[in-house]
Amino acid sequence: MKKPTPLVDELEKGPWPSFVKEIKKSADGPMASDLLSVLERSYDDKIGHWKHGGLVGVKGYGAGVIGRYNDLAGEFPDAAEFHTIRINPPAGWFYTSDVLRQLCDIWERHGSGLTNFHGATGDAVFLGAKTVELEPLFDELLAAGFDLGGSGSALRTPSCCCGKARCEWACFDTMAVTRELTHVYQDEMHRPAFPYKFKIKASGCPNDCVGAIARSDLSIIGTWRDDIQIDKTGLAKYVAEGKPNIQRDVVERCPTRCMRFAKGQLDIDNDECVRCMHCINALPNALAPGKDRGAMLLVGGKAPILGGALLSSLLVPFIKLEPPYEDIKELLVAIWDLWSEHGKNRERVGEFIQRIGLANFLEQIGLDPQPEMVAHPRTNPYIALHEDKP
Amino acid sequence: MPPATIKRKTDIGPPDYQKFLPPIIQRNYGKWVRHEIPRPGVLVHTAESGEKLYSVRAGSPRLLSIKTIRLFAALADEFSGGCLRFTSRNNVEFLLADAGKVDPLILRLESEGYPVGGTGPSITNIVHTQGWVHCHSAASDASGVVKSVMDELFPYFGSMRLPAKLRIAFACCLNMCGAVHCSDIAILGLHRKPPKINHGTLFKTCEIPTTVASCPTGAVRPVTVDGKPSLEVIEGQCVLCGNCYTVCPSMPMNDPEDGVSIWVGGKVSNARREPMFSKLAIPFLPNTPPRWPEVTTAVKALVELYAAHAQPFERMGEWIERIGWPRFFRLAGIPFTRDHIDDFTHAGETYKRSVHLRRSPAWNLGG
Amino acid sequence: MSDVTVEAVADAMYAMVKECHGKRQLKAIDLTKAMAERFGDACDKPLGKEAIRLLIEDERCTYSYIGGSYIVLTPEK
Repeated sequence: MKKPTPLVDELEKGPWPSFVKEIKKSADGPMASDLLSVLERSYDDKIGHWKHGGLVGVKGYGAGVIGRYNDLAGEFPDAAEFHTIRINPPAGWFYTSDVLRQLCDIWERHGSGLTNFHGATGDAVFLGAKTVELEPLFDELLAAGFDLGGSGSALRTPSCCCGKARCEWACFDTMAVTRELTHVYQDEMHRPAFPYKFKIKASGCPNDCVGAIARSDLSIIGTWRDDIQIDKTGLAKYVAEGKPNIQRDVVERCPTRCMRFAKGQLDIDNDECVRCMHCINALPNALAPGKDRGAMLLVGGKAPILGGALLSSLLVPFIKLEPPYEDIKELLVAIWDLWSEHGKNRERVGEFIQRIGLANFLEQIGLDPQPEMVAHPRTNPYIALHEDKP
Repeated sequence: MPPATIKRKTDIGPPDYQKFLPPIIQRNYGKWVRHEIPRPGVLVHTAESGEKLYSVRAGSPRLLSIKTIRLFAALADEFSGGCLRFTSRNNVEFLLADAGKVDPLILRLESEGYPVGGTGPSITNIVHTQGWVHCHSAASDASGVVKSVMDELFPYFGSMRLPAKLRIAFACCLNMCGAVHCSDIAILGLHRKPPKINHGTLFKTCEIPTTVASCPTGAVRPVTVDGKPSLEVIEGQCVLCGNCYTVCPSMPMNDPEDGVSIWVGGKVSNARREPMFSKLAIPFLPNTPPRWPEVTTAVKALVELYAAHAQPFERMGEWIERIGWPRFFRLAGIPFTRDHIDDFTHAGETYKRSVHLRRSPAWNLGG
Repeated sequence: MSDVTVEAVADAMYAMVKECHGKRQLKAIDLTKAMAERFGDACDKPLGKEAIRLLIEDERCTYSYIGGSYIVLTPEK
């Protein structure tokens, strides 16, 4: 350790795993050691010391590397260049010990030894590479079968829940769809050509474990069309245990009150069910989504910058989502073409739809308006003339 | 490594996940029928075949040294046939086919300092951003606040005693790389001073129209300073969002007086109530490294209030909706200020437009 | 309608990036739109994309990122 770091050392204490301990584990190398010193300075003067952006990348790509320089370069030269590398992870974030060790070995040769597993968009992140290391690092990653993720005004690394790999509620193969879209749209990911970022996230059921509805421009969320499956033996066990309280905690928490519980029997009026997952979550060993499964597609979710936060809104009420996934690809390309052509610089697709109007957007991408797409019809009478009007 | 003259094959995409799935998952892919949580941090999934998969979930600080990743790899070799995964909330999960190895693995993980938990009605890992560790626009440190809050809430990670799950997120500025806008409790870094404009570099580093367009309130305007094109910020109109800084490096905002705000009641899940945004609870708390006591105290108080008042299966936002926001502020002892009233694009939708009000003790009934 | 080569489109794009340098930041779509106007239907989207790829790969241009992604002249080493 070059210099004492009394402030950040405080964060080695306490029961939760410490990121300071993590930095120190790699601080036998000069980069992590200088990073810790820079952080100590921030804790002392309550201000960040990272500069804005920088023109770095790997040859041929406009994404996957985020330049990061420090304003204390003179004092801490080994943290002066500390670029981020986004690595597209396998769908569902599954790894073997061998492949993780391979990634660690590569990173030990070319960077600080610090990582994020994973970053907010879902990429595996190598934190702290010098500019000269970028090309050799990228070559080694490619040789190991890994590629860079998205950044900038591009398709960002699509991500998904573990889906059918480990969840009985998965209504479509989240990992297969994510892998397919990631592979087909490598160019859209690596060579930024959109007005702004575009995120795709896939959750296998309405519990939405990857937060697709809030965190992605195209949200793919699993659902089903037939009846909720009831396992009578499983239900009888819950009834016998008296936990949860089926009347209070399940029936009365149903948003549409579509169930009745009497004499140990649960009757569900499936036409009234909005498929929210609550009863299935509460009674996982008795209830399950139906067998006719697929997904809903929603569009436009984003955080506040610039025009305020948006949740995605419904575009397609049901799609089977089966290989080769041509329907979703056609829709994506239609959305991208329209938005690329008419979207303003740094305008997310959700903001674009608000600006041009959902009705115009639907017409342009070739979808018919449906009542499922709105919370309620318009309340104002300012209705413009259209050609197709009688 | 190939010599530089050979054109490398790029755009190969990520490796196929199927190569990394444990054999038990390969055999039962898409054939799981149910799951249980026998103890905090352990999920047991049963397949049609009757095979059982044991997932052991441990918390991590997200920022990991390769030495820790190698440790996880070694543990996976010893206990789970070399197979593991990470969750969307930065936990690590070991995927075991052998029930007998679950307890020994838990012992090992905890002795190495990686606690097991984060399942069911608990507080799992906090989703967060880079903060002072690595971000240019951070108004606070992410990792330090998260570590301090999780130390305080630690008993909730390893237990399942809350009415429902409680999701906490942290973002170090309004860019919200951590997408905190739909969390039960969100901690959001806030800048407190308008951008400091560097007129000497702005004309070289920034595009004037793009920067003007980046302001959500029209507070950024073109001016000429010393004969050079530059920008000014109408301070009364600036909402301190930092978006101009995102497109123009000559308008930095970082300041020692930056701090954080606390938001409550958001969720992404569709279960019961539709997904909803987090709403402002505490407009500002100062940055007090290294332990942020004001923040940890405030978050803990909110968790305890929720734990004491919500009904089973009720998320934070559902509970507050049931009791109403006036009662929430009263119970939480949080003063309601002008900052709590929305004044952006859709502000009007947030005003109370009915006379449905529960009575308030402040009305001094019968007094 | 005459055939337009990728090289010709790339050269025209490069000239445009050079001309706008220091005045206006260009996104990929700005370049492809301008080329479609200049070369007409002969320069469709895939051709525009290919031309940008050529510009980047022979390092006449590079991507920059300031809030959004732009195509700029490769800085002198």
